[in-house]
Amino acid sequence: MLHVRHLTKTYSDLMRGPITALSDLTLDVVEGQIYGLLGPNGAGKTTALRILATVLQPTGGTASINGFDVVTQPSLVRRQLGFVSTNTAVYDRMTAWEMVEYFGRLHGLDGELLSDRINRIFQRLQMNEIRDTLGGKMSTGMKQKVSIARALIHDPPVLIFDEATVGLDVLVARSLLAIISELRDQGKCIIYSTHIMSEVERLCDRIAIIHRGHVLSEGTLEELQERHQELDFEELFFQLISQNEDQRLAQ
Amino acid sequence: MKWSNIRLILQRELRDQFRDRRTLFMIAVLPILLYPLMGMAYLQIAQFMQEHPVRVWLIGVDSLPSSPALVTDGHIDPSLFSNSNSVSLVELSLKQPELAEGEDIASVARDALAANEFDAVVYFPTGMKDRMQIQSDETVSDESPRNPEVFFLGAKDRSRAAYDRINQILERWRTLLVKQTLTDREIPATIATPFRIQIRDVSEDASLNAAIWSKILPFILIVWALTGAFYPAIDICAGEKERGTLETLLSSPAERNEIVWGKLLTVMVFSVATSLLNLFSLVLTGTVIISHLGFLQSNGTFTVGPPPLHTMGWLVLALLPLAAMFSALALAFATLARSSKEGQYYLLPLLLVTMPLATLPIMPATEINLGTSLIPVTGVMLLLRCLIEGDYLTALKFAGPVIAVTLTCCWAATRWAVKQFNEESVLFRENERFDVVVWVRHLFRDRGDTPSLAEALMCGVLLVLLKFFAQLAAVTPTSWRDVVVSTSILQIALIAGPALLMTIMLTGSVRKTLLLRMPRFSTLIAAVLLAFFLHPLALSLSEFIQRLYPISPDTIEQLAAFSDMINNAPLSQKIALMALLPAVCEELAFRGFILSGLRHIGSKGMAIFVCSLFFAVLHSILQQSLAAFFLGLVIGYLAIHTGSILPCIVFHAIHNSLQLIAANFLQQVSAGAAALEASAFETVVYSRIEPLVVESSVMPGMYVYRIPVLVVSIIAAGILLYWFRSLPYARTPEEELQDALVHQSENVR
Repeated sequence: MLHVRHLTKTYSDLMRGPITALSDLTLDVVEGQIYGLLGPNGAGKTTALRILATVLQPTGGTASINGFDVVTQPSLVRRQLGFVSTNTAVYDRMTAWEMVEYFGRLHGLDGELLSDRINRIFQRLQMNEIRDTLGGKMSTGMKQKVSIARALIHDPPVLIFDEATVGLDVLVARSLLAIISELRDQGKCIIYSTHIMSEVERLCDRIAIIHRGHVLSEGTLEELQERHQELDFEELFFQLISQNEDQRLAQ
Repeated sequence: MKWSNIRLILQRELRDQFRDRRTLFMIAVLPILLYPLMGMAYLQIAQFMQEHPVRVWLIGVDSLPSSPALVTDGHIDPSLFSNSNSVSLVELSLKQPELAEGEDIASVARDALAANEFDAVVYFPTGMKDRMQIQSDETVSDESPRNPEVFFLGAKDRSRAAYDRINQILERWRTLLVKQTLTDREIPATIATPFRIQIRDVSEDASLNAAIWSKILPFILIVWALTGAFYPAIDICAGEKERGTLETLLSSPAERNEIVWGKLLTVMVFSVATSLLNLFSLVLTGTVIISHLGFLQSNGTFTVGPPPLHTMGWLVLALLPLAAMFSALALAFATLARSSKEGQYYLLPLLLVTMPLATLPIMPATEINLGTSLIPVTGVMLLLRCLIEGDYLTALKFAGPVIAVTLTCCWAATRWAVKQFNEESVLFRENERFDVVVWVRHLFRDRGDTPSLAEALMCGVLLVLLKFFAQLAAVTPTSWRDVVVSTSILQIALIAGPALLMTIMLTGSVRKTLLLRMPRFSTLIAAVLLAFFLHPLALSLSEFIQRLYPISPDTIEQLAAFSDMINNAPLSQKIALMALLPAVCEELAFRGFILSGLRHIGSKGMAIFVCSLFFAVLHSILQQSLAAFFLGLVIGYLAIHTGSILPCIVFHAIHNSLQLIAANFLQQVSAGAAALEASAFETVVYSRIEPLVVESSVMPGMYVYRIPVLVVSIIAAGILLYWFRSLPYARTPEEELQDALVHQSENVR
């Protein structure tokens, strides 16, 4: 469903020369699976997901979503994809309904099909009371709901959530996680990036721990625990990161 | 690109803008209110200036003759005003000055003016009456101290106004005095005014109208088209980046092109709307105000009606491409900006560049010609003026270049905006500390095999500037030797030199940049043949250009000495200097460095086009530039399809040589074969050419090939060009990506 091979992204920085934001990322996600990208801030998670969402272009490697290449077939990739990120805001001067309708239309939906879908999604996400509220007047939680509704409107097989719970209170975050696992049960292929351990433990079927653009370890939760001889996931994460830092310093 | 997506984006952006109070104020409310308010203020001020009375102190009125009277009942005599209602505009004081010890009238007057007691002081010295009496009897020196003096403060507006009024009054009074003296002596009064000048402006009211409006309206149109484009552009690009909604849109199925076009159309709608609203508001207010002012003016000849309807029609027609161009520019700038605040900074430079272009046509004596018609914005305004004034023939003649330049600008600006939108470094730009040393090091350290797009553009601009300043600095050559020296310096040091230097410093592969590759032998043969086959077309083209836009007599005169020197030089030397040398130097610079860099655009057509533009600008005579542009297109095409500089050099050298030989042939024909010492070879060549050519029917002195020869050669050239197209050529990664993107949906079906 989603295949990433040796994905690399380097930026040229005036002061420091080329900087590798993402190096040699390889992963596969299948239907009905939530794949967790776990890493501290600046690890390269957002870069990787932006490449998958065709917002950025990789400098090396390939990625395909549902058989479409992210570099040469970006429009087709975007049709297979719902992208929710901290950087994908909602329009201030549009109501929740208008916003979701607009993106539905961009996806080629129209008429009764579109309004049926919006109604269903608004029902499911309990958004009916903010239907006619302008984006500028919404709380962070409401905005996040609109973003999710926007990403689901074309019923994409692949969903990408980048730090989706940032800024949400516990209640809203919990219901968001519930929605995401429900989407998995519907057979969606989901990539979920976060820096919060507990979310990964609760939600993800497979996990990649990323640091400074490199994948440090990859596998199911159990595989990781076994491989690194550590049951406490937070401890495991911390060990991996500090080992990596030590190696870097030694070099 | 799907129109439905563009329309969706357009509709959303429009709705978004209409929900924004600031935009609505700028676009709609401001123009509707601005001009009426300005007009009102102006009228008020004018009224105030007109009706404000001035205070004048007349000293020594007693010494004046009683008839004709200057003062009656303590006021200026009403007969001395052009309008009897104006009597109250001069308040008089006739009090006697109190002169202290050692004071004179001048110091008293100065004190009174400084204390703001009066706006002007007029002093009639004692004995003026006597003087005038004497004057009518005998001749007295005009230097006598018995002339009236007017004191005023030139630094104060009100005092100057008082001076103006009192001066007019005194002049009228003097005229009356002269008349009376003449009448007293029974001499006809008309002798004092032997003639009167009758002023007749024979332009019809409508054309006078048009002349006035044709200067004001295009200017307003341009200023507001730009301003009206800028604010929405900032909001929907930089603002959207700031608010974080841009990434939402980028991850939607809408393609970048569609997003840009949707936004571009939005900006255009606002640009056009602002401009039109301002125009209508100005015309309405202006008509009212001007007619009112005309009424106020005493001679009553100055009346201006509303601009004729067709004027507005032409304006709207011209507005569309201008608005498109400004919108695309504004959009590209706004995309470049990280935030709305940064976006605002870009408005000023854009206005600073556009304003001179918009003011140039308003200057007196700026007329449309080939040169001015090729200047963006200026050309449109001048063409517009021709159309408004009804000079359709001139307009038709220059419509071609103006439309071509404007469309090119529109296209380039749009492409730039789309490119900005495809540029990650622009969309996700972060603040970076800038350091010149680090930047230079970065240029050197991170250089690619071929120059970057920016470096190619930089090189083009540099070469054009160098050429320009070298021409200013160069002394006029006086001998063929001078021509050889100056041409060699120009070609080697100022064209090939900088390009080679940049190649070595800024690129990793000199070979790839300058296309130093041995091509297939067949391509060289084909390049030679192509130069021959295109020669008739080149001659016809330059004849056509000459016919449409004749070189001005001034330029011909300037060139005359130069062409004499050239004509008398041996053909072989001419070919070496003016065909071989430019072919090598210009090709290395243009099809080498510049074209290699431009290919990073991702479209070979665009790369060839821009490269040819630079190549054309390098030629100093406009008519030459036009021909050079087309030549550049052909050579750029050769460069890309053969991947080697050699065919380009061969083609260029032969093309130039043929032109020189043709010029020589002309000379021989015009001078008579005997006058020219042609070599045996030349004579043979000329005798072969002669049956093929014919003197141009419209341009005497110019030769073109006969039509059948022209047609056959064009067909042959077309076949050759098609053959070049079939050669396998190396595409840049950018071109491959663009191709893949265009065909992405086809692969699926």
